Amino acid sequence: MDKGQSTFEDQWPSMRPIILKLLQQEPVTQNEWHEIFYSVHVVCLWDERGPPKVKDALKDDIMDFIKRAQQRVLSHQEDQALLKAYIAEWRKFFTQCDYLPTPFRQLETSLAGKTISSVNKKPQNEESIVRKLMLDSWNQSIFNDIKQRLQDSAMKLVHAERNGEAFDSQLVIGVRESYVNLCSNTEDKLQIYRENFERAYIEATESFYKVKAPQYLQANGVQNYMRYADSKLREEELRAQKYLEPCSGSVQVLTECCVNVLVSAFRITILSECAEMIKNYETEKLQLMFKLMDRVPGGIALMLKDLEDHIINAGLADMVASADVITQDSEKYVERLLSLFNQFSALVRLAFNDDPRFLTARDKAYKQVVNDTTVFRLELPTKQCGGVKSQPESKCPELLANYCDMLLRKTPLSKRLTSDQIESKLKDVLLVLKYVQNKDVFMRFHKAHLTRRLILDTSADSEKEENMVEWLREVGMPADYVNKLARMFQDIKVSEDLNQQFKEEYRTSKDSINIKILNAGAWARGSERVTVSLPLELEDYIPEVEDFYKKKHSGRKLQWYHHMSNGTITFSNDVGRFDVDVTTFQMAVLFAWNQRPADKISYENLRLATELPDPELRRTLWSLVAFPKLKRQVVLFAPEVQSPKDFNENTVFWINQEFALVKNGKTQKRGKINLIGRLQLSTERSKEEDNESIVQLRILRVQEAIIKILKMRKRINNAQLQSELIDILKNMFLPSKKMIKEQIEWLIEHKYMRRDEDDINTFIYMA
Amino acid sequence: MKVTIKSWNGVATWRWLANDDTCGICRLAFDGCCPDCRIPGDECPLVWGQCSHCFHIHCIMKWLNSQQVSQQCPMCRQEWKFRE
Repeated sequence: MDKGQSTFEDQWPSMRPIILKLLQQEPVTQNEWHEIFYSVHVVCLWDERGPPKVKDALKDDIMDFIKRAQQRVLSHQEDQALLKAYIAEWRKFFTQCDYLPTPFRQLETSLAGKTISSVNKKPQNEESIVRKLMLDSWNQSIFNDIKQRLQDSAMKLVHAERNGEAFDSQLVIGVRESYVNLCSNTEDKLQIYRENFERAYIEATESFYKVKAPQYLQANGVQNYMRYADSKLREEELRAQKYLEPCSGSVQVLTECCVNVLVSAFRITILSECAEMIKNYETEKLQLMFKLMDRVPGGIALMLKDLEDHIINAGLADMVASADVITQDSEKYVERLLSLFNQFSALVRLAFNDDPRFLTARDKAYKQVVNDTTVFRLELPTKQCGGVKSQPESKCPELLANYCDMLLRKTPLSKRLTSDQIESKLKDVLLVLKYVQNKDVFMRFHKAHLTRRLILDTSADSEKEENMVEWLREVGMPADYVNKLARMFQDIKVSEDLNQQFKEEYRTSKDSINIKILNAGAWARGSERVTVSLPLELEDYIPEVEDFYKKKHSGRKLQWYHHMSNGTITFSNDVGRFDVDVTTFQMAVLFAWNQRPADKISYENLRLATELPDPELRRTLWSLVAFPKLKRQVVLFAPEVQSPKDFNENTVFWINQEFALVKNGKTQKRGKINLIGRLQLSTERSKEEDNESIVQLRILRVQEAIIKILKMRKRINNAQLQSELIDILKNMFLPSKKMIKEQIEWLIEHKYMRRDEDDINTFIYMA
Repeated sequence: MKVTIKSWNGVATWRWLANDDTCGICRLAFDGCCPDCRIPGDECPLVWGQCSHCFHIHCIMKWLNSQQVSQQCPMCRQEWKFRE
């Protein structure tokens, strides 16, 4: 090759026409295309100063082309036409940005002072110099000159669209694309787009709604406005997805701006209608409000507050309104509570999609309803003298336990329901129980009811009974309590086997005798012993059982619980014969007349005959002279008194010779009647101590838990101790601050722990 | 008028016939169970030695197993023999 033909000056005249053709997107032959590669190669190879010259010449031509394009674009005055022309020019130019640089690859390596061999290694995506040259030139000339007009035109179109006019969305998209592609800053490719297009778009959106939103609110009210805001938010999000660069974060920025201008700005006004909507269960509107407010930071806090207030107010109002019924009837009470719960839960589900924050608010408020003491309360006495009134507690746990009993015992209620219904109602009880603070009261009553059912054999379904124990375990009742319940069932089964063996061994007429031998630890409530003079045939029989048991289990002794034992007697008189279920105490009293059926016996003589303690005898007699369900009582007495307390030693009692069952006004000659009523599990004296023992047990539990924590932590500050304490005890009861404080003082006094000398709020364990 | 018993359900509880309230080894109540058991009753019985001292069976077995030289009652140091 002749060196004289290889300089820039030699080659450029033949290159230039082809380059111009390329710029103008005119057809180029394959030869011409090859030619250009060749020429660039020659110049780069032979002309040392060639490459910069090529670049400059190229730049001039590109500039020239762009200038002409600009003229063409600016010849349009109307916005749409301008945009259309610009986009057409830009698209053409941008396409050429991909083609034109190709022949100049070698130029680029030469300019960079690299060897040819490295050309292929060059990553494809790296911006080529020629491409950069093209884009920069476009940016500097045409774009900078008409950028504002372009942007304004694009925004005008968007504005028109917001007002409902249709147009070719490609126009706006095209402008955006040119903004994005023009940027040659490799650090931040979106710089030009963000600083111009995005900002303009967001500002336009904001100012649009700053005007529109208040107008709409003013004219249509909050509820319509919420619908408006919601639809606009959705609309703007879709629009942003169309017009703003994807994956650039623009959509989020725009959405945030829309939320600010559409929702946050009117937060107070919108929220002011929340309470009323909750009250009226307007779930659709609430759902809308929730959707809007959830986008505002801290927006739903007030809604949560409104929900809580509503649940507490509506719940308590409902309780107070039906106080007459529910204080009398635990079934009605529990059903009332449950229907309230379902009502609130439905509200949370329908209006707030069971959002966890609203569920928590519901739980918090419902807990307050359940544990409220306005309608009825359980008075727990405190041992401390000096008139310190204890805090009254809700009677809810007691009523829940009663309701459980009605479901598990053979009652009209449990007979009416199917097994599945009973099961679901028991589950309901457990659900409410979750919200009860003083669960220890429930446990106490539930255990008492279970004891009665097992002793009197009145369970409706023993399988369900045992399921219930497991469910109680599942809801987190303390293990030692649940274990005791399980132990009770076990004792009953063991006793059945024992009776079987006993009957085989003493094959006499003892068929009618049944013994339940219980584990004192699991069943007992106080170990007091009640004396009673049993009917002779029973009295003889006691030692036989004791002998038998001693042979079975050495090292054990039996203690009879006659206040729990019971039986059936046949009561015959001139009218007829009746089977009467009685307690052993009632039995003892009735047997006093067996030898002298017509006598009138004084209270004092009955006491001598039965050997019953005074309070038990009074109570037993009262159950025989004034049994609520009977029209004719078994025993009559004189003089008339109003309560068992008023019997004196000269009150006389006699058997009602006319006793009979009366059904539908007709006297029956045969029949069965149960005089046991609610089996007393404790004596009169210990019953008074019952509520006190709840408090006593709580004190012990608090002490125990404090020591447990201190043993583990060695030292702990007051606040932490309190919270760990509540955590340990929450499945039993909620200890009052006062009780905790008193027990801490007691433990310090008794040298289980001490206060830190430097910090009185820190406690230290003393071994 | 005549009253006759048709049937009777007697209720009684049982307790260990021990001469003390608590086990001399674990110091827990005989009415309860040893520290390793959860539920009092047949699974955690008491045993008597010929010296008349009694313990939870789990407690005394643990004690006897820990004694290498001779098997003594922890209360009176007499040789431990189970009472039949």
